[in-house]
Amino acid sequence: MSADTTKNPKTDIADLPWLGRKLLWLDNMKNVDRIVYALFVLCTALFAADFLYHKHTYLTIEDIPGFYALYGFFMCAALVICARAMRVILMRSEDYYAPNDVEAEEYPRDQLGVDDEGETKHV
Amino acid sequence: MFELLPPFLVFLAGALILPLIPNGHPRSFFSLLVPIASAYLIWTMPEGLHGQVSLAGWDITLLRVDKLSTIFGLIFSLAAFLSLLYAWHVRDTVQQTASLLYAGAAIGAVFAGDLISLFIFWEGTAITSVFLIWARRTEGAYHTGMRYLVVQVGSGVILLAGVVLQYLDTGSIAFEAMTLGTPATIAIFLAFGIKCAFPLLHNWLQDAYPAATVTGTVVLSAFTTKLAIYALARGFPGTELLIYIGATMTLFPIFYAVIENDLRRVLAYSLNNQLGFMVVGVGIGTPMALNGTAAHAFAHILYKALLFMSIGAVLFRTGTAKGSELGGLYKTMPLTMIFCVVGAASISAFPLFSGFVTKSLILSASVNQGHYIVWGILLFASAGVFHHSGIKIPYFAFFAHDSGLRPKEAPWNMLLAMGLTAFFCIAIGVYPEPLYQLLPYDVDYVPYTTTHVITQLQLLFFSALAFTILMRTGIYPSEMKSVNLDFDWTYRKLAPALVGACRHLINVVWGGLLAGTVKQLTRGFDKLQNAHGVEGILARTWPTGSMVLWIAVLLGVTLLITYI
Repeated sequence: MSADTTKNPKTDIADLPWLGRKLLWLDNMKNVDRIVYALFVLCTALFAADFLYHKHTYLTIEDIPGFYALYGFFMCAALVICARAMRVILMRSEDYYAPNDVEAEEYPRDQLGVDDEGETKHV
Repeated sequence: MFELLPPFLVFLAGALILPLIPNGHPRSFFSLLVPIASAYLIWTMPEGLHGQVSLAGWDITLLRVDKLSTIFGLIFSLAAFLSLLYAWHVRDTVQQTASLLYAGAAIGAVFAGDLISLFIFWEGTAITSVFLIWARRTEGAYHTGMRYLVVQVGSGVILLAGVVLQYLDTGSIAFEAMTLGTPATIAIFLAFGIKCAFPLLHNWLQDAYPAATVTGTVVLSAFTTKLAIYALARGFPGTELLIYIGATMTLFPIFYAVIENDLRRVLAYSLNNQLGFMVVGVGIGTPMALNGTAAHAFAHILYKALLFMSIGAVLFRTGTAKGSELGGLYKTMPLTMIFCVVGAASISAFPLFSGFVTKSLILSASVNQGHYIVWGILLFASAGVFHHSGIKIPYFAFFAHDSGLRPKEAPWNMLLAMGLTAFFCIAIGVYPEPLYQLLPYDVDYVPYTTTHVITQLQLLFFSALAFTILMRTGIYPSEMKSVNLDFDWTYRKLAPALVGACRHLINVVWGGLLAGTVKQLTRGFDKLQNAHGVEGILARTWPTGSMVLWIAVLLGVTLLITYI
C-alpha cells in the first residue's frame, strides 16, 4: 500500500529535519522505559493528590479517593478487552467489500505528494 | 434586493468566479478570500430576521441572525478558511468549487429561518459534498459516493415530507423549536438524525469520510454533522430522547475505533462519539447544556479538522493512512506529529486545550440535571476517546514500530493550516472567555478549578496507564489489515443477499411454471401435428382410384337402402 520509494530505514541522520534529530532519543528503548517510569510516578502522584486537597464534588461516588483514576484505568482496560473480543466476530479481510469500497485500493498516486515537493501539479 | 447580503451568496458568487481565475496560486488565494468575506458579513450582521422574501406564496427568511446561528456561521467560515488553506496545492477545479458551494450551503442552512429554505440548503450540502468523495476518481470511491448520496438525499426527502406535514398541521413553515410527537416532527427529527449519524443511521459517516480525497475529508468533517447538531439545537432542544441517543452515540463508536486499522476511519468513529456529547447537551436543553453543545461544536470542528489534516498529510506523503502500514514517522514529519498531538490533546480534553473548557459544560449540565448514569457514560466515553484518538492516532502513525517509511515533511500550506488550527485549539483552552462570549446564553462557569483539573488529569493519565500496560503486555489489539463489520453490513451485504435469494426463488418458481406450461403446449402441438400435420392422419394424400371406389361403394349402399 505504501509508496516504496520512501521506504529507506537507513536514512542518514543528517538528512532528518532538525526537530526529527532532536527527537531521535525516542528510538532508544531505554528512554521509552524512562517515559513509562515517569508515567508511573505521575500516576502515583495524581492518586496521592486526592488526599491533599478539598475535592468539590456533586456526587457521593466522586468522594471515593482516586475515583477518577480508577474509573479511567478499569473502564479503559475493559474497553480494550471488549473491543479485542469483538474482533473475533466482526473482523473481515480488507477486500471484503471490494470493489465497492476504497479499502483494498491504492490511493491514486497522481493525487499524492510522495515524489515531488508537493506544491505543484496535484489533481 | 436584500438589505443585507446573505453569506451563502458570497460562496455562490465565489464558486462561479473561481473557475475563471488562472489555476494556481491566484485561484487558491482567491478561494481564501471567500470565507473571510463571509465571516466579516456574519460578524457585522445585526440580530433579527433579514432577507425575507415571498416566493410562490411562501414567506422565506434567508437570514435569522441570533447568537446560536452566528456562532455556527462563524465557525463554519473559519473551518472553510482553514481547510481551503490546507488544500492550497489542489489544482482540481471540481474539488475547489465543491468545497466553496458545500461550505456556502451549510452556512445558508444555519441562517435559514424557515423550513423550506432549510430543506434547499440541506440538500445543497448533500449534492455538493459528494464530489469531494468522487474526486478520488477510483471505482471504490464512486460506489462509496453513491451510497453517501443515497443516504444524504434520503435525509432531505424525509425532511421535505416532514415539512409538508408540518405545514398541513400548523399552517406555518417557520423553523422553530418543535415538540416530538406528530408524524411531521418525527419525520423532521429523523432527517436531522440521519445527518447527525444517530446510532444505526451512522454508517454513512465512517463509510464515506475515509474514502474522500486527502483534503476533501478535512472539508467534510466540518459541516454536515455539525449542521445537524445546529438543527437539533434549534428544533428539538430539551427533547429527553436525545439524551439517551447521545449517550449511546458516545459509547459504541469507541469500541470500533480501538480495532479499526484505517486511521481516518478511527477519526470518523471518534467524530461520531463527539457528536454524542453535543446531542446529550441538546437533549438536556438547559442554557448551560446548550452553551456546552455550541461551544463543543466550535472546539470540535477545529480539533477534528486538525486531526484529519495531520493524518491527511501522512496519507499525502506516504500513500496510506493505515495503522498497520505506518509508524516511526516522527523522525521525518516532526511538525505534523506535534500538530497531531495538539489535536489529540484537545479532543481528549487535556487542561489548557480546547476540549477541556467545552466538553465539561455538557458533563456539568448532566450532573446538575440529575442524569447520573448518563454522566457516567460520558465520563467513560471521555476516557475512551483519549484512548483511541488521543493516544492511538499519534502513536500508530508517528511512533510504534518503525515502518521504515521516510516521507518528507508536509508541504508548507498544510503545515500553515495545521499550525493555525493548533493555535486556535490551544488559545481556546488557555483563554476560553472570547468563545464563552459567543455562546447563545450567558456563561456562569469556571472551567479551571483545582478539582476539575486534578480529576481530569487523573482520568486521562490513568487511561494512558491502562494503554501502556496493555501495550507492554501485548493485550492491546495490534493494527491489522482488515475491515470490521458494522451496521452497514445489513445494507451492503445482508440486503443484497436477501434480494439475491428472492431473485433466485422467483427464478426457480417462474422457471418451473414456464417449463411446465411449455411442456403442456408442446404436447398439445404434437397432437395437432399428428392429426393435421403434413404426415398427419387427416392430411395424407389418397390415390384418386380409391376415392372413385369409395364413391361407388357409397352409391351402392344408397341404392340398397332406397330399394330394400
